[in-house]
Amino acid sequence: MKNKRFSFPAFYLAVVTLVTYLPIAVVVLFSFNDSKLSVAWKGFSLRWYESLFRDAALMEALRNSLLLGLVSCAFAAVIGTLGAIGMARVHYRSKAMMEYLSTMPIMLPEIILGMVFMAFFSLLRLPFGWLTLIIAHTSFCIPYVYLMVKARLVGIDKSIEEAARDLGASPVRAFFDITLPLILPAVASGCILSFAMSFDDVVISIFVNGPTLSTLPIKVYTQIRTGVTPEINALCTIILVSVIAILLLSSALRRKGRVED
Amino acid sequence: MKKKLLALLCAAMLLLSLTGCAGSGKTSNDELVLYTWEEMFPQEVLDGFTKKTGVKIIYSNFDYDETMLEKLTQAKGGDYDVVIADDYIIEQAISAGLVSEIDKSVVTNFSNINPRYQGQFYDPEDKYTVPYGCGIPLIVYDPAAVDFEIKGYNDLWNPALKDSVAITANYRVINGITLLSMGKSMNEEDLDVIAQAGEKLLALAPNIRLIQDDNTQNALLNGEAAAAFLYTSQVTQVMAENPNLKVVYPEEGLGFGIMAAFIPSNAPNKQAANEFLRYLLEPEISKACMEYIGYVNTTGAADSIVNPMLVAPESAGSGEFIMNVSEEANDAYNRNWTAFKAACGQ
Amino acid sequence: MNALKGAGRWWLCIAPMYLFTLVFVLGPVLYMVAVSFAQNEAGTGFRWAFTLENFSKMRDPIYLQCFRESFQLALSTTVLNALIGYPFGYFMGRLSAKGKRIMMFLIMVPFWTSSLIRLYGWLILLQAKGAVNNLLLALGIIDAPLKILYTYPAVLIGMVYGLLPFMILAVYTSVEKMDWTLVEASRDLGASRAKAFFTVTLPMTLPGLMSGVILTFVPSMGLFFIADLLGGNKIVLVGSLIQDQMTRGSNQPFAAALALVLAAMTTLMLWGYRKLTGTSELEGML
Repeated sequence: MKNKRFSFPAFYLAVVTLVTYLPIAVVVLFSFNDSKLSVAWKGFSLRWYESLFRDAALMEALRNSLLLGLVSCAFAAVIGTLGAIGMARVHYRSKAMMEYLSTMPIMLPEIILGMVFMAFFSLLRLPFGWLTLIIAHTSFCIPYVYLMVKARLVGIDKSIEEAARDLGASPVRAFFDITLPLILPAVASGCILSFAMSFDDVVISIFVNGPTLSTLPIKVYTQIRTGVTPEINALCTIILVSVIAILLLSSALRRKGRVED
Repeated sequence: MKKKLLALLCAAMLLLSLTGCAGSGKTSNDELVLYTWEEMFPQEVLDGFTKKTGVKIIYSNFDYDETMLEKLTQAKGGDYDVVIADDYIIEQAISAGLVSEIDKSVVTNFSNINPRYQGQFYDPEDKYTVPYGCGIPLIVYDPAAVDFEIKGYNDLWNPALKDSVAITANYRVINGITLLSMGKSMNEEDLDVIAQAGEKLLALAPNIRLIQDDNTQNALLNGEAAAAFLYTSQVTQVMAENPNLKVVYPEEGLGFGIMAAFIPSNAPNKQAANEFLRYLLEPEISKACMEYIGYVNTTGAADSIVNPMLVAPESAGSGEFIMNVSEEANDAYNRNWTAFKAACGQ
Repeated sequence: MNALKGAGRWWLCIAPMYLFTLVFVLGPVLYMVAVSFAQNEAGTGFRWAFTLENFSKMRDPIYLQCFRESFQLALSTTVLNALIGYPFGYFMGRLSAKGKRIMMFLIMVPFWTSSLIRLYGWLILLQAKGAVNNLLLALGIIDAPLKILYTYPAVLIGMVYGLLPFMILAVYTSVEKMDWTLVEASRDLGASRAKAFFTVTLPMTLPGLMSGVILTFVPSMGLFFIADLLGGNKIVLVGSLIQDQMTRGSNQPFAAALALVLAAMTTLMLWGYRKLTGTSELEGML
């Protein structure tokens, strides 16, 4: 009986995950296809990988996307986490309104946000480029961190921190020893979410990027207009492999650290 | 606590200002910002210019003409050195004073342009633009899947094509060919006639398999559609993949679109921009570019060396441009389009 | 430090978010509201003259239909997502630490591949000569290729697929931090498995489900890429209408007005959901 109960969740998780990976498998497969069109299989080839590394613009777009994601995500982590912690403790009448406004960037369809940012930035005479991209991306990253941390804080018993205070811990100490470790998983998932959103955002970026800047999704999106070349498939495959490698490496390192402890 | 927070805030501000500065740096004299759609140039052509002049090309992209105009307006005609966009938007850019005249003492090979593509509505005196390529959307169909001969737009309404027509997604072009099929102008201003076109479009809905601007031609290759109304580059591409398909120059008349290059009024590097236009008009370069993007060649001097498929037949001269219409007419076209798309989904 | 005792400290915490929100969220939004009342001009511009024309235009049945379709699609996407994602997040939260790590890893990986490209993957899979059809043909289940691509189900597949990770992560976060001793206690007190789930587990994970719903429903009201790519552009959503008006239709005030109504609808629905489920999370925190 017990055995049976355990197998259904496992089966369910496996099936859903498998379906999730189907389209990715297809993308990887066609990165090795010897044809420009991803319609039929025409034989194995590595030529898209070769031309990918010669494509300086695509590589630069990749670099830009990584940097943009990291910077916006870092800002959002600080602003969003502090905001969630503070909001949980202050009470005032227009708080709900303020909270709604803070999370608005993910409540609005992207295209509106993009168009509105563009108009507004030019109203402020901000130069289009890194600055505008970072502001725009930070704005939709904050809500992810904020919501995640907030959901976590709801479940945390405030009395634990109070108990620590009663036992003589300073507020700073109580925060770093008690609250922070408890919300860290939420901060982390918020960051991961927001980095992924930033790394994948195309609509907003198109509106606020400068003349000399391009991010990876912009490249992909504009390429879709003229036809996705398998170079993009190749790039996605490489990103996929690197992500897997990084994740595996980090978990291996963590395990090793734990063993040595 | 306070100190930590302040330190964090300061670090954040510092980083913001640093990255901000890095991003807003002005382009220098050995750089040329080329602003157009993605994939409009083979890399060799861009590299060739750098090799020749030492000027590095920064290839910047937009998705729609309107995005370009918006950006250019915000930049007050600066930031970009050469822009390549569609005819009708260039007319707007010129009338908004965002375009500077071409320096023909630098562009000495201006006469390489095929006169057929000159003196057009957007630049009647040929002062501002150099045509880059010409597009003529056409019908392509698979004779194996269609058992009658398609001659023009009206055949797309044939019930035999139920759920098997792919079309591009430009609302003015699709409204336009419907008007052409009724013997009217693509730029019809009469609201009653536009409403009739809207009715006629609704009758086309059952035949529509997909409406898409990107990769529309794939629908013919992967069996999703039996007939398609495609942009020139798509026509070239699909014919290269499957020569058994048939291309139709619709008997009711052609739509005609020119992509042209211009120099914005406050371009940072006008000298290099003019040199780049001269470079584009060299026959070998023109040939390389057109064979890469699959558009109809507008550089007459290159006609003899370019792939013959890319030289427009005589009939192309009779093509009609999509032009700006009154706000009311534009609204009506928009409404037709939304109603049509919604009907397709039913 | 003294000055920062008590509430002052927390206000300082909020300050950055406050500032950012006022300048970069409220400012642009107010600007959009202003534009929605402006007069459109032929070409790409508009004139500052107060008019309600942009709103009255929306009464046209065609445009009303867009709102209806968007709402329907968003609703079906969210419901399907919750049905698929909640059990997933729940089961995942019950795995061993190692199992959780592995699942987290498996969910994270697709997240980093461009969503556009993953949709492209579906396109290749679903097309008439694609893998799904070939499989069904080979198995003898169908005799002729199914037309899956460019239909409503294809759009639904794409929407659910694209937004599922958000639901899973949100549910997982709240399941993860759940106090399982409460469930055990209720079981010890004689509650059936189902009863324990509905009276203890579900209410405790509701905040997660709630943020999952927010993270799914809201984007799906505005997503139009998927409907364009997998639906062959045949389902007219408010998102694509706004995009059409912004770019090719070039009527920015109308786009702003549509956006305003869409934003208002979204807000109203979120509010209604909160009232309905009783998870008035804002009150719960006070």
